[in-house]
Amino acid sequence: MNFEVPDEHRMIRNTVREFADEEIAPIAQEIEDEHRYPAEVFDALAGLDVMGIPITEEYGGLGGDQLMYALVTEELGRVSGAIGLSYAAHVSLAAKPIELFGTHEQKERWLRPLAEGEAIGAWALTEPGSGSDASNMDTHAERDGDEYVLDGTKQFITNASEAGSILVKAVTDPDAGYDGISTFIVDPREDDGFEVTTIWDKMGLNASPTCEIAFDDVRLPEDRLLGTEGDGWTQTMKTLGGGRISIAALSVGLAQGAYEAARSYAGEREQFDQPVSKFDAVRDMIVEMDRKIERSRLLTHKAAAQYDSGGEVTKSSSLAKLDASETSREVAEDAVQVLGGYGYTTDFAPQRFYRDAKLMEIGEGTSEIQRMVIGRELGL
Amino acid sequence: MKILVTVKEVAEAADDFELPDGALDIDERYLEYDLNEWDEYGVEEGVQIAEENEDTEVVSVTIGPERSEETIRMALAKGVDRAIRIWDDALEDVAFLDVEARARILAAVVAEEDPDLVLTGVQANDDGFGATGIALADRIDFEWAAVVNHLDLDVEGGLAHVHRELEGGVEELTDVELPAVLSIQTGINEPRYASLRGIRQAQSKEIVPYELADLDLDADVTDSPLSLTSMYEPETESSATVFEGSPEEEADQLGELLGEMGVVEG
Ligand SMILES: Cc1cc2nc3c(=O)[nH]c(=O)nc-3n(C[C@H](O)[C@H](O)[C@H](O)COP(=O)(O)OP(=O)(O)OC[C@H]3O[C@@H](n4cnc5c(N)ncnc54)[C@H](O)[C@@H]3O)c2cc1C
Repeated sequence: MNFEVPDEHRMIRNTVREFADEEIAPIAQEIEDEHRYPAEVFDALAGLDVMGIPITEEYGGLGGDQLMYALVTEELGRVSGAIGLSYAAHVSLAAKPIELFGTHEQKERWLRPLAEGEAIGAWALTEPGSGSDASNMDTHAERDGDEYVLDGTKQFITNASEAGSILVKAVTDPDAGYDGISTFIVDPREDDGFEVTTIWDKMGLNASPTCEIAFDDVRLPEDRLLGTEGDGWTQTMKTLGGGRISIAALSVGLAQGAYEAARSYAGEREQFDQPVSKFDAVRDMIVEMDRKIERSRLLTHKAAAQYDSGGEVTKSSSLAKLDASETSREVAEDAVQVLGGYGYTTDFAPQRFYRDAKLMEIGEGTSEIQRMVIGRELGL
Repeated sequence: MKILVTVKEVAEAADDFELPDGALDIDERYLEYDLNEWDEYGVEEGVQIAEENEDTEVVSVTIGPERSEETIRMALAKGVDRAIRIWDDALEDVAFLDVEARARILAAVVAEEDPDLVLTGVQANDDGFGATGIALADRIDFEWAAVVNHLDLDVEGGLAHVHRELEGGVEELTDVELPAVLSIQTGINEPRYASLRGIRQAQSKEIVPYELADLDLDADVTDSPLSLTSMYEPETESSATVFEGSPEEEADQLGELLGEMGVVEG
């Protein structure tokens, strides 16, 4: 059993860390305050081949593995949850399914621009009326000659307002239950009848657009169907396996960023004539942070390694996501505490990590749903 | 054309390290290793020249233990074609290598590689001798220019038009005939980040290990009239004067202070 990441992975992590420290950290609070999607950062990341890490080189990706992708996602989360979230949604939810389930032509047309970072991607499952109970959706696509006609509303779709493509789940056979759901590729710039109806103001992650989108008789040619009719739900389960690993990695990154801020502050801030880190109560908070982060990171890397060896990741990815998302919220909360009043101000990062971390317990399946999944895996 | 870029992995001490009395070096646990800052610019300059001129090979050379492979591989990731790493049991045992030793070792590499241009950093941010590049030029009898902050290479004419940074913000414009050694100043370019594809490709690029004997050198190359006798943290003293009042009053106070310190007459 080897706990060292390979040399290549370490070099990649260090490079992305350097980029994140120098190019992203200085603007992380500013883009949050301005609710601004930082297109220039994603362009720069594309230039460094970051946007398609676990996608095959054949279609413009880097050909890296899930572990490499997890390490990079963690580094982005360490400085900006919003950039990390948009990135993880782009790779795991928008690009990866086209690689797994698309035809050669679909990969050339839709995957390549995502993998090369020419465009950012989105993935639309959630609806106003169906969140945790995601398969119970209203959006539907009806066949009309050699086209499909798509109607419905999707809720909380990351990147939709900026996207070059959106993978949309819709019911094609209302009587078939899970087997009646299909996936369509929508071109938000070209397809008539598509509209972004809301971009939400949120508790955090405001540089990552979260959108309500509507489809009003959007006509899609047959070649926009991903996989075959009725495959949509099985695809979703597979997609979320990888997606949850990336949310776990992002959560570890948020926790790491909050921990570093708390640790360095505690060593410098003096009260009662000594650094506050010398008080047992403060030291213990920081030790707890280290313990939780180490645990969550190990679970995340284990799930990524299992994914890479082709194993089943339903349980390990759920466990990593459940654990890491709690870690990120708890560590960020304690980081605010360690900084005292300054931790509550936007001049310091911990408050941002705290607000960003909360989403990790909600997106890609709430913690309650993760417990349900794990319980089922345990045979309960 | 062939460009040789010398690079060095340097140790950087953590913010709060401890140096026990009598210690001759900072303990390993306080150190982090990275590519010398000046060498980042040397690597970038070499790679840019290769991108602008066909048939240009960029070779990096370092003197360093196995650990330094990662640092030198980063140069390969940024576009250096191949690398040479010199290490030897004889080097392992010495506390530090002086300029003379480095210049002799690098001169042996130049004899092997026969480059048209050698780029070194102005200095290394650990030992800070700031002399290796020029000592090397002297030893191999190349033309040289130190503290180069702008380089315009005329490959056909075999001429490097350089700006050299002198004291007090003065710049010297000089033409240097190739083959030459240029010591590169920070700010001459904007070093790139390695691309991830570059990092992946660098894993299979060649880093040739050399021992002293491979370069026809003996262990006595490390003999030095210099020895490290002690290491300590110098006392730092700082004082700040805060002026208060209207801008006019503050200016008066500043003028008075500058007079007292002998900075201006008055
Ligand atoms: C910032 C952000 C980005 C997002 N990005 C995307 C995206 O890109 N694509 C996408 O499709 N979706 C996205 N989502 C949607 C997200 O996945 C859903 O919000 C999430 O799955 C929860 O659904 P819901 O909000 O409808 O909550 P609900 O399902 O209504 O849940 C409400 C509460 O009930 C609990 N609950 C529900 N069912 C059960 C149960 N069976 N047992 C126990 N408790 C239960 C939940 O845990 C929760 O506490 C995003 C959401 C946010 C906020």
